Amino acid sequence: MNAVFRATVLHMRSVAPYRTQFLLVLALMVVLDLRSPTGLMVATAVILAPYLAVQPFQIADKADLTTLYAVLPVTRRAVLLAYYAWAVVVYLGALIVGTALSYVAARVEGDAFGGGQLTTLLTMSWALFAVNVAVQFPLLIRFGYTRVNVLATILPIALIMLAAYKLHLTIDAGQVWLPLLGVAGAAVLVISATLTAHVFRHPE
Amino acid sequence: MPETPAFALRGVNCAVGNGFALRDVGFELPTGYVMGLIGANGAGKTTTIRCLLGMRGIDSGEIELLGRRVPGSVSLRQDVGVVLDHTYFVGEWRLAEVERTLRPFYDRWDGARYRQLLDEFGLDPKARVKNLSRGMAMKLMIAVALSHRARLLVFDEPTSGLDPVARAELVGIIGDFLLDEGHSVLFSTHITADLDRIGDFVTLIHDGRVVDTGPKDEILDAYRVVRGGPDELTDLIGVELIGARRSPAGVEALVRTDEAGLLDGRVLVEAPTLEEIAIHIGLSSARPALRTRTRGAAA
Repeated sequence: MNAVFRATVLHMRSVAPYRTQFLLVLALMVVLDLRSPTGLMVATAVILAPYLAVQPFQIADKADLTTLYAVLPVTRRAVLLAYYAWAVVVYLGALIVGTALSYVAARVEGDAFGGGQLTTLLTMSWALFAVNVAVQFPLLIRFGYTRVNVLATILPIALIMLAAYKLHLTIDAGQVWLPLLGVAGAAVLVISATLTAHVFRHPE
Repeated sequence: MPETPAFALRGVNCAVGNGFALRDVGFELPTGYVMGLIGANGAGKTTTIRCLLGMRGIDSGEIELLGRRVPGSVSLRQDVGVVLDHTYFVGEWRLAEVERTLRPFYDRWDGARYRQLLDEFGLDPKARVKNLSRGMAMKLMIAVALSHRARLLVFDEPTSGLDPVARAELVGIIGDFLLDEGHSVLFSTHITADLDRIGDFVTLIHDGRVVDTGPKDEILDAYRVVRGGPDELTDLIGVELIGARRSPAGVEALVRTDEAGLLDGRVLVEAPTLEEIAIHIGLSSARPALRTRTRGAAA
């Protein structure tokens, strides 16, 4: 079994005991956004997915899993890359759940949902998620969740808002850039993962 | 005795921060023995262990673990079990889940042995890690280490906070582990009574430096505790008083055995315990000169 895969499963297992609270967060989103299929879609992809993505860091701090990672026969590089792999898995999971719930909500409300609107939402949420993770993870890996949680949450949002303001980006304008946004999201994530795995490959 | 040491540190320097650093740390343990790493809180025991395990980078020096250089391949960790004074597992995991989580990482993981050890140690596989007492948590970490067939067990302050029964059980477990002559143990502690029973070698560390290292019996023979009146034991007697404790009733200090003869008849001279050696070295503001003993007399 590949080391990154094993480490990803380890992150998943560290988070698994807290699944009830994640389901409660999802349930809260469904209740709040039930009347807005679009809002539900965005909420799961842009709020729930990043929230879940950082959970391995929070639990690692809480349970001293950094020591476990240093004791297990697995490279630090694999553990670091697995954080990113976990994030992508979480994003895809949130996307599937979010899309399904949004579709159901749209049916209930009698709204149209799908096609170009769905593609736009998926691509933009992916780009936002990717930038979020790409900025947050190096900070969380370097300083730990407890020390930089707030900064790591605020910084990517500030960067995204600044970029949107400077480039005069709107959702309509975003449609023109859609393919580029999708690729850029993936590229940012890959660059962040590669740099992080290289820069922080040595312990302490 | 096999030639390859279980581990060896040679001239290790490692700056930690806040002015603390390991300085020229060097000691080694032959395979098949137990070494006690003794020092006060903050002496550098944990930092030394972290360097040994490759969890912390070193500035200079050389570390060898089970015949291989550190840092090196992570496959080396297949052979090392680490037991700390706290668990490093998710508190919500059940003990059966600990096995499911760790098993994929170890080539020689033996699930039957893990379950057998849990049974032997009186640990319920359905119990959650967070609900274990300190003694039970320590046994869990030992069960994990023994289930992946570790050849070297590294204990960092495992007995702090344990009751005497749990400490006695630990000594028994280590004794069983050492029945295989290829197995070795490094045992960091400030509770030296544990080492009186199981230690073959001792390394004394103080302020980031190794003060003394070698076979336990030689270290015990190397020092004497002296007690006398305030006028009888002064700094002017020509004997180095290590960690002198002065009170109105008198003075107690550690001296080197080869210097103790100069005091005969004037003060009370006694063989020390490891605890007394550790206390007086911990009290000494100046670092006593490093003594490194050969391992010849250990066996």
